[in-house]
Amino acid sequence: MHISDGVLPISVTVGGYIAATALTAWSAHRSNSRDLPKLAVVTAAFFVASLIHIPFGPTSVHLLIPGITGALLGPSAFLSIGLGLLLQSLLFQFGGLTALGANTLMMGIPALICGWFFHKFKGDSMMRQTITGGLVGAGGTAMAAIILAALLFTGGEDFLGVAKIALAAHVPVIFIEGLISAFTIRFLARVKPELLELSFKDPAKDTHA
Amino acid sequence: MLDITNIKLPLWQLPVFVLIPLAVFALAVFFLKRFAYKRSIPTEERDWSVPPIADAIYDSVINRWDVRCKIVTILAFSFAIASLKHLTPALFAIGISSLVLLISRTSFTKALLRLLAIAGFISMFLIVMPFSVPVHSNDTVIIFGKMNWLVFNLRGLLLAATIAAKAVAITLLMEPLLSTAPLPVTLHGLSKLGVPEMAGQMVLLSYRYLHVFRHEARRMSSGMQVRGFRKHTNIQTLRAVANFLGMLLVRSFERTERVFDAMRARGYKGRFPEPAELHLKTSDLLITALWLAAGSALIIFDRIICQG
Repeated sequence: MHISDGVLPISVTVGGYIAATALTAWSAHRSNSRDLPKLAVVTAAFFVASLIHIPFGPTSVHLLIPGITGALLGPSAFLSIGLGLLLQSLLFQFGGLTALGANTLMMGIPALICGWFFHKFKGDSMMRQTITGGLVGAGGTAMAAIILAALLFTGGEDFLGVAKIALAAHVPVIFIEGLISAFTIRFLARVKPELLELSFKDPAKDTHA
Repeated sequence: MLDITNIKLPLWQLPVFVLIPLAVFALAVFFLKRFAYKRSIPTEERDWSVPPIADAIYDSVINRWDVRCKIVTILAFSFAIASLKHLTPALFAIGISSLVLLISRTSFTKALLRLLAIAGFISMFLIVMPFSVPVHSNDTVIIFGKMNWLVFNLRGLLLAATIAAKAVAITLLMEPLLSTAPLPVTLHGLSKLGVPEMAGQMVLLSYRYLHVFRHEARRMSSGMQVRGFRKHTNIQTLRAVANFLGMLLVRSFERTERVFDAMRARGYKGRFPEPAELHLKTSDLLITALWLAAGSALIIFDRIICQG
């Protein structure tokens, strides 16, 4: 769920932009600058992936995939998510242009945490990677939902009810997202395991190899 | 002592005032969606990365306006709208945005699709807020029959309506901002405004490959359908969708390598040729000044007059 225009207080939208710009700059700095065009093309793939709808009873939910993005891109994930959300906002109006900073923080920070968690705990066996993948998938969505609720709550106590409902609406998505992420990571571990090694890491800055 | 105006309405009026407007809104969204999709499917989403053949389709005041002025003005105006706190100035903002949409002669269907995209999120506010805002003094609340736990607070409705009006006003400006110039020109304008050139190039590249990967995804999903796959709410569907997602990522990453090699083979060194030369005219600045004055007037109206 992306925040649309006109919802957040103006101080939060501007603050969100500033924080998101700083984190994006950090993310671009952490990526190999020669790889940025490549990252742009990969972003398109995540964008398309986030358009996939999963049937859930009578309705359907679409994937948010902050977990997988973080696992595959590491520190570059924030830049990729910012770019993807900008395009979603420009093309489909998913998320308002003035709320772009806040939306990027909402998806990007969980992705960074998920990326760190995944690479810390993934181990070598496929089973362990699958479980870690499921955890980051569910955890990423849960964190995004909590940040969304917190952002809505910045509007004051009048927004508490809406924040609670938005949080509740994400509960099924957390489970679906967790399962999908586990299966996807398992698939990637079997088919193309090198994708699970950070491909956009700047070798010069890599201190914990 | 709280000063609350209580309006007691008999229970049978609950459907009249709450459920029927809700149903009408949902039906309207449903039919508009069908109408808009029907009109937009044959032509598909226009690929803005393909330069236009003739300049004839770009002919309005907004099109001739300098792209830098356009970006700065519309962004500043959007933030001005986002900072409004009362319903009346927000409705005025919708008026201004509609006028701009009319002048820019952009597609109404696409503007409608954008409005429909925000309808779900905004209706959540319209439905939840009247019942969820805490009751303050000077509030007017409606209680239906004996259902004391269900308090319909008019202040919540007003708040939600203000949010909805602001969202609509900003959303209406997106078509004039984006589809009155080819995307490369808009991004060129952004880089002239100080945004790093690499950022614009990344947008352009992902925008281009977005279409490629969407076609790829469509091809893969028709392949799955031919083999008899249907989506249901069960674990098999999740597994199949996850494999689909993984395959999409694998293919896209591999294609990314080839694309990047091809770009370097053609001499790409981190720059694209400039898509247009920009000249700033006095009239450009005049429109900007006029529009920003309107934005400031809205804020003054909001902060001083509405505050009473």
